[in-house]
Amino acid sequence: MSLADQLQTYLTRIWDQPVTVRDLSRIPGGASRETYRFDADVGGETKGLILRRDPPGSLIDTDRRLEFMAYRSFFGRGVPVPEAAALEEQGAELERPFFIMGRIDGGKAASPFTVIPYGEHAQALGEQFFSILGTISGTDPTGLPITEVAPAPLPDECWRRELDYWEGVIDADEQHPQPIVRAAIRRLRREPPAPAQAVRIVHGDYRSGNFLHDEKGQVIAILDWEMAHLGDPLEDLGWAIDPLWAHFEAEKGRVGGMIDRAEAIAIWERTSGLKADPAALAWWELFNAVKGMGIWISAAKEYRDGGFKDPVLGISGWYTARRHDQIIARRLAQLEGLA
Amino acid sequence: MTPTVPDLLLGNFLCLIDPPPPEAMGEFMVGRVAVTGMISLLAAQEAERGIDARLWENSAIRAVLSRSAIDYGERFREASRKHDENFNLSALDAANAKLRRELITLHEMAENKGDTKLYKEIIALYVKMAEARRLDLPPLPGS
Repeated sequence: MSLADQLQTYLTRIWDQPVTVRDLSRIPGGASRETYRFDADVGGETKGLILRRDPPGSLIDTDRRLEFMAYRSFFGRGVPVPEAAALEEQGAELERPFFIMGRIDGGKAASPFTVIPYGEHAQALGEQFFSILGTISGTDPTGLPITEVAPAPLPDECWRRELDYWEGVIDADEQHPQPIVRAAIRRLRREPPAPAQAVRIVHGDYRSGNFLHDEKGQVIAILDWEMAHLGDPLEDLGWAIDPLWAHFEAEKGRVGGMIDRAEAIAIWERTSGLKADPAALAWWELFNAVKGMGIWISAAKEYRDGGFKDPVLGISGWYTARRHDQIIARRLAQLEGLA
Repeated sequence: MTPTVPDLLLGNFLCLIDPPPPEAMGEFMVGRVAVTGMISLLAAQEAERGIDARLWENSAIRAVLSRSAIDYGERFREASRKHDENFNLSALDAANAKLRRELITLHEMAENKGDTKLYKEIIALYVKMAEARRLDLPPLPGS
């Protein structure tokens, strides 16, 4: 039975009426889940939908319920996200865990490997990008769906919980000794940040490339919430401004390939109502490069274990790992006054 | 560092040799071919520079270990004694793994001892190591 047939059988069962699935097509990118777009004809209406299914091997090991609940937490609350429609953690007719959400058409996402991906709309998109992040960081999570599945750390535990987790990933998956990231981890532990000023929903992978824009200067969807959790909101800001996501404009100080770093931080502070303490943000920036290395080291192991068949895992475990090694080494040198 | 160039080029073959299911024939396959092309492009750089980078890094780590043996123990002189004789990638990587483990230990010892000079010397080495292994991705057009 094809995937389209399986999907049709599933939707017919849960909607309790005949469904026809059309134009099922896998979308590239996003190695943590298989992503497909399709149309479902039901009751004389056509629904544009997205299927996110767990792959046999993955870039990151994430809980699809968290991602599903993150979408539910922000749908209709000032953050452009698709509506989460159905979740099957046991896989049901599709054999592997999956969820289905609404499709936002007419948008484009940038690849991190492209130069000037936003053209004349970079400034407008950058302002919205950091404004939306401010909205996420400024939202009190009390009572939102994600709190049903994401444990809330105490403000002074946020940094340690994240660092413990990603160091654990590196310990488990490292296949070649990595002295640069190890030095960074030791430094992060020696000089922890101030406690989080508030515990908030952290997207976990908020960066250029994980949003859709309409090519006219409008952000229309924030996607890829698979690493969402509760924690220090500076974590998201630090990841969003990491040089890896700067589209070759890091040396110009333009974060995300969109806007000036200081302006991005000011927008985030204004829209979140929070402060980006420079020392704390510097900690979270270094941490995020360590987290990146955790993801890439894990990807390299998955690439090998999966028989070298997913080139996204291959290039993530190789090119991006080396980029983050450079970023971490330079940052350590800057912190020591060597650069 | 993993994966190696042989892994990646083998992977490029393996990921394209199986016929994809119908739903993965269009946009997904275009994206997959683009990534395999990018891997090939970067593999060309690694083929040109990878051996030199490893030889340089191994030699640089041995030099630090050797200089530090007086203050930090004979194990570091011992670890620095060998030279690279087999220049294939896997032999150089195996030697590099041993040297990097010793370097991690030495750096940690320098930190614990408050030996700022050696600590910073190793940080400066990390910058050069990361630079020597860099892969230069040419900027690709946005659309």
